[in-house]
Amino acid sequence: MPRIIVRPALATLLIHGLLLLSLTLNWGVQDREVVKAKPAPAVINARLVDASEFKPKPKPKPKPKPKPVAKKPQAKPTPKPVENKPVETPKPKPAVPKKPKVAPKPKPAPTAAPKPQPASRITREELARIAREELAATAAAEQAATTAEMSATFVALIQQTVINYWSRPPSARNGMEAELAIQLIPTGDVVSVTILRSSGNSAFDRSAVNAVEKAGAFPELQTLPSAEFERTFRRFRLLFKPEDLRY
Amino acid sequence: MKRLHIFLFTVAMGLMATTARAELTIEITQGSDDPASIAVVPFAWQGNGAPPADIAEIVDSDLARSGQFAPVARVDMLGRPTTETDIFYRDWRAINAEYLLIGRASGVNPVRVDYELYDVLRQTRILTGSQSGPPSEVRMVAHRVADAVYEKLTGVPGAFATKLLYITVDRQDGGGGLSRLTLSDSDGASPVVLLKSGEPLLTPTWSPDARHIAYVSFESGRPAIYRQELATGKRQQLTNFKGLNSSPAWSPDGRSMAMVLSKGGNPDIYLMDLASGQLKQLTRHYAIDTEPTWMPDGNAILFTSDRGGKPQIYRYDLRTGATDRVTFEGSYNARPRISQDGRSMVMVHRQEGRFHIALQDLVTNRVQILTQTDLDESPSIAPNGSMVLYATKQAGRGILAAVAVDGAAKFSLPARQGDVREPAWSPYLYR
Repeated sequence: MPRIIVRPALATLLIHGLLLLSLTLNWGVQDREVVKAKPAPAVINARLVDASEFKPKPKPKPKPKPKPVAKKPQAKPTPKPVENKPVETPKPKPAVPKKPKVAPKPKPAPTAAPKPQPASRITREELARIAREELAATAAAEQAATTAEMSATFVALIQQTVINYWSRPPSARNGMEAELAIQLIPTGDVVSVTILRSSGNSAFDRSAVNAVEKAGAFPELQTLPSAEFERTFRRFRLLFKPEDLRY
Repeated sequence: MKRLHIFLFTVAMGLMATTARAELTIEITQGSDDPASIAVVPFAWQGNGAPPADIAEIVDSDLARSGQFAPVARVDMLGRPTTETDIFYRDWRAINAEYLLIGRASGVNPVRVDYELYDVLRQTRILTGSQSGPPSEVRMVAHRVADAVYEKLTGVPGAFATKLLYITVDRQDGGGGLSRLTLSDSDGASPVVLLKSGEPLLTPTWSPDARHIAYVSFESGRPAIYRQELATGKRQQLTNFKGLNSSPAWSPDGRSMAMVLSKGGNPDIYLMDLASGQLKQLTRHYAIDTEPTWMPDGNAILFTSDRGGKPQIYRYDLRTGATDRVTFEGSYNARPRISQDGRSMVMVHRQEGRFHIALQDLVTNRVQILTQTDLDESPSIAPNGSMVLYATKQAGRGILAAVAVDGAAKFSLPARQGDVREPAWSPYLYR
């Protein structure tokens, strides 16, 4: 056989082989980074909140009730310049976003009662907002925070916020799963929520989408270096998988 | 040749890089389960004269009673749209309403109600429907609208367009007051007295098709089981045995009835074929066996027995004839009723000398006490399994109360004259 035929033929075979290989292997064994929800803290870290704490904050919109979704442009802690930190840290942190000590103990929403009553709805959301601000402050104030640690803290923040807004319908059962694809823009606003994998129960799917829609934005992410934002939070997935239901 | 290899390598690496890129997945395994906020805007009335009823108000209070919803108060509404073009979503977002229900009522006979449900967050219509009925049934029409909304948003059929049966006893000094068997809507409205008697009436129950009821009446001087057709009021006496005749319970297929008879000497569970009147004795024990109820699959009967010394609930398997004990927690468990999915059992449970309504998960056998009041009795479960109706005492009077199966919501039905007892929630009346 003349070389002029064999070589292109081999090349074609090789290209197709590689293509097939990459498609079959990598789609399936994508090493997905799954962040599990931490169990709710058994102890409620309650603190007395004074109503005056809310007053000086200018409301972005003339709303009668401050909402946690409201952006708080001035309350943002100044971003710690990450480049100030020497790259050669004595103790190199693992690249995998292991949970930093601050993250697993997000000051739990200082709810007055373990089971929030419908009547105290506003207060609860107000308190959830404080918890969220504290998480964000922790992320920014952590002097030794590496980008990975900051990311882990923001993951916890997103998790906690969505948990606060997720109200499951009575048809929800433990073990149901709905996976959503979330798209953010650098301001932290949610620009798209799509269902990647339905639970098969439309009320359950709707409750998951509504939890993200109600959260609306994660403006704290603005403090994250933009490279890290692009890498981790521009697009991510939320897996709704209840484990705390009656059955 | 070398260039070709480099090219191939680059292509391959490029493919690897794009496909192997991991996307962050955050798992959410908990929630807060607040009631969903829904705004039920007063429905437009397009007929002549006064509207037959405030449909929106009935829907609103149905949804609120379920504990799954927190309706928006009318004074907080920034607009009163009745058609899609009038909706300004930002008005509803501003007051944190997640869902919006609007509608229009028209016609004289039948009254027709058209309604639409919107998702405020996503600004989309998620349900459109209409219901109609005669003016006398306008409350039922409204309950059906509530059923449709409830099902759409919770994934569970609503049970608002259902009926309740209960007994009221006028109190007289020295006892022996007038007993009334009453039928009402699921919210306690529109009560109709089906039977009055100077002698006691007990344990009303429904046929699975909701067209007949059965109860025990002492009108002949001793207890006997009667069957009554709701539409015609036609009655038939089913039993007249010596001793106890009580606790009728229709089988899920409607063909037979479990009951308690003591004609053999002490109370046992019997099964009557309703077509032939033939009796079959199921339990044979010197202890008291009473309060039978059916598993929804029709394969077993649960009943209360003190064969172990204290009242507990047992299961009689109709296929094998075997009897197993079901309850083990506490020294008093009685009067079982099973949810339609066969998963949950409600019962009267005694704890520290007080009688509460408790729910037992029949798979995990975990018991959860639902009520905090004392002297709670006769639990009856809604056909969709969401609420439990029971009788209790308030200021010394017997009243009806209801609690959600997760214990979150409670309400009591408007008090009427006399003591109210032994409620029985109907099956679905349409579907």
